[in-house]
Amino acid sequence: MLAVPIIATALLATTPPAVHPEFVAIPAGEIRSTVRYEGDDGKRRVAAYAMSPRAVTVREFEAFVRAAPQWKRDRVPSLFADSGYLSGWRGAGDSGVVHDDAPVTHVSWFAADAYCRSIGARLPDWIEWEYVAAADATHRDARSDTRWRARTFDDGTPRAMDAGAGAVANWYGVSGLHGVAWEWVGDYATLLADADKRGSDDGDRLQFCGATGLSFANRDDYAILKRVALLSAMEPRSTLGNLGFRCARSSP
Amino acid sequence: MKSMLRTLCFIVLLPALMPAVAGDMPLPGDSVYQLDARLSDQEGRALEWRTLRGRPAIVSMFYGNCHLACPMIVASGKALQNRLEPRERDAVDFAMISIDPARDTPAALRDIARMHRLDTTHWRLLRPDDADVRTLAATLGIRYRAQPDGTFNHTSVLVLLDRDGRILARGDVTGLQPDPGFVAAVQDYLTGTSASAPNPISRPKESP
Repeated sequence: MLAVPIIATALLATTPPAVHPEFVAIPAGEIRSTVRYEGDDGKRRVAAYAMSPRAVTVREFEAFVRAAPQWKRDRVPSLFADSGYLSGWRGAGDSGVVHDDAPVTHVSWFAADAYCRSIGARLPDWIEWEYVAAADATHRDARSDTRWRARTFDDGTPRAMDAGAGAVANWYGVSGLHGVAWEWVGDYATLLADADKRGSDDGDRLQFCGATGLSFANRDDYAILKRVALLSAMEPRSTLGNLGFRCARSSP
Repeated sequence: MKSMLRTLCFIVLLPALMPAVAGDMPLPGDSVYQLDARLSDQEGRALEWRTLRGRPAIVSMFYGNCHLACPMIVASGKALQNRLEPRERDAVDFAMISIDPARDTPAALRDIARMHRLDTTHWRLLRPDDADVRTLAATLGIRYRAQPDGTFNHTSVLVLLDRDGRILARGDVTGLQPDPGFVAAVQDYLTGTSASAPNPISRPKESP
């Protein structure tokens, strides 16, 4: 009977502490976003910032909930996370996951936001994410490569191009953007797609200050289309088994 | 024995589990006041978001430099207030939260209150800390997007909160008059609770 807690303690003691990766400096630049608003040309200026080279891992998130127990599965207010939050973990503060370096999933936007704040960072904005995710290993903007683009169709699945262990970092030195898990972005709620009533003609335009719908410039930009469709359907308390996050920092 | 121990533990630990608001029941898990957020009102007085707990409230998010939907949000809130019986009117507060804290300074919010002749015993115009705008919006189910020209697209909605901060009803703002279904929801709720409502917005005493 006593053996169980002793083993658990021993495991805890040997679990190496979470080491946060050095963020990668992302130079300022311009991108023509696939996401268009009000018929604009999609041209966006991205200021220099820093981004985590990989998604937040199970181990890192475990350390976070131990330090901030209000984010444990059995403590988190239902306002901030649905019932799927950290489901699959062995205990409220213990993932029980062998492969601790896997990206953490089953996390809500609120939890992702709180995690990034806890390390003095923030979630990246959509445009920052899209900007860096446009790169392959050798091109800063690989989106005109139709073969590369077709491979992004598997994003968010085990077949995703960055899902394998041998996946290489992209031009910026960032990995896993087209991986097995999707990623939250800080301003995901601005991706007001068809789930909103804005497209209808019955006066709902007035629900927003003069807003009209979001559209896509390139119908074959699968990675972006799927991502926007997914994120725009999420509530900030929603969790999914293939939705994780990474953090970013504004440049001083 | 075991259950006695458990009871004892519970009694001993209970005070530690209580929320900071002394004498209150624990906050419901789905209360919007679970969020830590700091704001200031139109007089520049700092307040914690969760201190709005205790009275039913109708809340929305808006910004001052907005010429179409935002004045409509305030107008429809006022129209709603005017539809209430005096007793109901006294039982509910209004909180309009800015999504543009950079420009909606207390002075700007005071101007808006004056322009709309808002009854500030029941209305608060609130400016959140920069870092709290997004989480407040997420909490209230309000979406917004900054435009390159400095305006915002945002959901225009009135949200009814019970005294513990649970969202009871939402009404889309599509004109100067409030959504009839929302008015009915507010009246239903207040009829059931107005008799025992505590005092309206408490005013800190002026320092001499």
